[in-house]
Amino acid sequence: MSGEVWVYSESETVASEVATAAEDVAKGASAQLRVVDISSVRPATRGSGTRLLLKGPPGPDVSPAVAAEALARAARELAPMAVLLGATRDGREAASRLAAKLGVGCMAEVAGLASDGQGMTGQRDVFAGKVVAKVRCQFPAVATVKVGAYPRAVAQPADAQEKDVGPIQDQTKTLGREKKPAGSVDLRSAKVIVSAGRGVKKKEDLAILAELATAMRGALGCSRPLSSDLGWLPEEHHIGLTGVTVKPDLYLAVGISGQLQHVAGMKDSKIVASINTDKDAPIFQASDYGIVGDLYQVVPALRRALAARR
Amino acid sequence: MRIAVCVKHAVDEAELKIDPGGNPLLAGAAGKMSTFDKNAVEEGLRLKAAHQGEVVVFTVGGAESKKTLKEALAMGADRGVLVASDPMALDALRTATMLVAAMKKSGAFDVVICSEGASDTYTGEVPPMVGELLGVPYVGYARKIVVEGKAARIERSLEDSVESVEAPVPFATSVVSEINEPRYPTLIQIMQASKKPIDELSGEETAPAGSRRWVEVLSMSSQPTARKHVMIDGSPDEAAAKLLDALSKEGVLK
Amino acid sequence: MSIFTAEHRRLVQMLHPTKHQEYSDVLSSLGSFMDEEILPISPKLDSGEEPIGGPRNALFAQGMSLVSFPAEYGGLGLPFSVYAMAVELLGTADASVALSVEIHNAVAEGVLRFGSESQRERYLGPMISGRKLASFALTEPASGSDAGNMATTAEKHAGEYVINGSKMFITNAGEADVYLVFAKTSKGPSCFLLESPNPGLKFGAELKKLGMRGSKTREVIFSDCRVPEENLVGVEGEGADYAKEVLHGARIVVAALNVGIAQLAYGKALAYARQRRAFGRAIADFQLIREKVADTKIGINAGRLLYLYASRIKESGGDYSSEASQAKVYATEMSLKACDDAIQIHGGYGYTTDDLHRHWRDARLLTIGEGTSEVLRMLISRRELARAA
Repeated sequence: MSGEVWVYSESETVASEVATAAEDVAKGASAQLRVVDISSVRPATRGSGTRLLLKGPPGPDVSPAVAAEALARAARELAPMAVLLGATRDGREAASRLAAKLGVGCMAEVAGLASDGQGMTGQRDVFAGKVVAKVRCQFPAVATVKVGAYPRAVAQPADAQEKDVGPIQDQTKTLGREKKPAGSVDLRSAKVIVSAGRGVKKKEDLAILAELATAMRGALGCSRPLSSDLGWLPEEHHIGLTGVTVKPDLYLAVGISGQLQHVAGMKDSKIVASINTDKDAPIFQASDYGIVGDLYQVVPALRRALAARR
Repeated sequence: MRIAVCVKHAVDEAELKIDPGGNPLLAGAAGKMSTFDKNAVEEGLRLKAAHQGEVVVFTVGGAESKKTLKEALAMGADRGVLVASDPMALDALRTATMLVAAMKKSGAFDVVICSEGASDTYTGEVPPMVGELLGVPYVGYARKIVVEGKAARIERSLEDSVESVEAPVPFATSVVSEINEPRYPTLIQIMQASKKPIDELSGEETAPAGSRRWVEVLSMSSQPTARKHVMIDGSPDEAAAKLLDALSKEGVLK
Repeated sequence: MSIFTAEHRRLVQMLHPTKHQEYSDVLSSLGSFMDEEILPISPKLDSGEEPIGGPRNALFAQGMSLVSFPAEYGGLGLPFSVYAMAVELLGTADASVALSVEIHNAVAEGVLRFGSESQRERYLGPMISGRKLASFALTEPASGSDAGNMATTAEKHAGEYVINGSKMFITNAGEADVYLVFAKTSKGPSCFLLESPNPGLKFGAELKKLGMRGSKTREVIFSDCRVPEENLVGVEGEGADYAKEVLHGARIVVAALNVGIAQLAYGKALAYARQRRAFGRAIADFQLIREKVADTKIGINAGRLLYLYASRIKESGGDYSSEASQAKVYATEMSLKACDDAIQIHGGYGYTTDDLHRHWRDARLLTIGEGTSEVLRMLISRRELARAA
């Protein structure tokens, strides 16, 4: 085993976050940090330490299957103590495959990474965010780092070492990729989010919430039923365990009952306010401010009050 | 078409109790079929309806896991396989190793379906590991699967894009919940399910190589919920004004 | 929280030691379905925003009405006590849907017990699978439990019966496909299966009820309403006995329904009492609140045991009429008190919140409907006095 911690993500920005997390592991394990690129160097991926370029697979886009194989081939030879990836969907897949190929453990979507020299530890949410688990994995190990949990590294990695891993054939064929129709604002970076739930009676009524979001200079989100079951909003608006995780300054939950799966996606918000007709709705347990009332009355009232203040 | 579906008897997170010290009471906690696994079973049943064949449901876990297998059987799966193992001593790679060993014992499958992640632990690691260990092409986060002949067209739902992928049969996949609306078993199906076969395999015998756990849980504690819980009353206009006042004071209103 | 609780599971185990797993699977599955598909829309059924047809048909498709009917007609052949518990769960999920389904099932039970083989073949299967909705038409504007005094008549005419008169407070009226109608012929009160539509069958306006607002209640009016002779159920002139028999079974089920309502109101009150603070502590810490909690819990368990007791006598073929009445009197009055206490515990919120006072409004029906508490106490006491004599 060499004294190296590798960092990889198919996303340049996420890779830079993972590099920050990797510093904590490298420090504890007295290891060197290496920022890995596959196929070609991506100058936007940052991190302290040195860069490692794996050549062989064609680029520029690298599928998780190919990334896992390239990383596995290099790791068998260079034997890093840990490989950290970003917990994006593709990153989770690449990490899991890599761990299975190498026959090592894989910690999923961890934050608070550290190393005791023999292995690494991290924290992850379980039971829909009700509980935090501290997990540990002996080196060599793989892990995915929770997206948004670390700031991006800014240092440019030093001189790129190249390593030819040979050609890798993808077993599946990518036919095309389409951008999902996204909302006007990126929820992850929004300071204010107005989020809609089942209390909204029909699709057209989302307009009043969208207007409120605009008036509050925020973005519109929703709970799972509205995107997954009813299809009223694109999936990118879905905040929750299986959707986007957000932490705005203000999260205004409107007509959302507050199932654990939803709360898991917004519990790190600075302030949570909610409007619901059911005074027993669990959302109030996850809120700083609550109004028991009909959103069809309270939302227009909020718009009036906002207009009066500006 | 032979279809394998992997399911998990997950901790029912809504029913999970936390002791005053913040420790989750996992011993004897209520369990249920992992929420998104219902979508995986449903997709298996839909493929079976379109292509004939059988749906075999696999799980790794304790005796309680039979409940989840029974539920899948009630939904319409043909038979179940339980790989008996202490659920507290599992990690993703160990689970995947046992699932794959059990699948190999049951003959070749054309399609292996998992859900994107378990509703309790949500690592999402088992599905790609199963694909990898089976040595078949794997396509994760499917929101649409169409199998025609020896190839499948799959739409992968990623964070901000949808990717169309063609995979040869056999393949493994994980599905996202938007792929379908799982059916409820009817009471007749529930009663019939108790007559469908469930094979019970010993974990240690099925996958001797899977006896090791790589990732261990050191501790668990409940999240502190430091919310203020201020309820605002009054008419809609009064409540709205009070809320905006409070939010201004918090400095979160731009 | 799930509607089918560990307490229910334990009772099923005690009542049916060898089959409890199967029965619990059935009830637990029904409970989860209700948790997800019925309970969340219950307030909208009360407010009229959501029509009853959708959830009722969904329940039929699940097999709600198959539970206690024999397998030869497509039923599940499970004991009556399991069916009664299913109605309790439905009472928790939504009282109006439970009422509508319970009456529908009571008619199906009448067809099973008193109908001819051809009537059973024609009506029972479609009813219990939910393809045909049934309604029970006994009560009249001027007569209730005194079925002998009914004014609706049926005259025999060339292979048909011609029905004239009207029935009042009829649940499912206007929506049902089949009506079990009681009318007097020359031989006395008789029972008929009447299919809708029929040119002689009309309905009054929807009645504005205190509660059970999700279900439809109307007057049913017969003017020269013709029914084929073969639709006479059982023996002409014995209709009053049939009505009594059907009502005995229904009373067990109505008791179960009310236990279900009480359970929901109790759950809400308990949660509120733990969370609401007054004078620096949770109101659940005050003794007078605790008394209500204890009394309601005792009532719910007692009501449940009573309806299960009557169910078990019915299953074993014994005379359960008095126990069914006892269960209904006790459970309906208990439920009303439980819902009243739930409002009291919630204070002003209780009085002003639809989602709380609707339980009281729903419970309020059943000390009246399907046999008033007064009439049932007469029946119970009559048997006790006869035994003592």
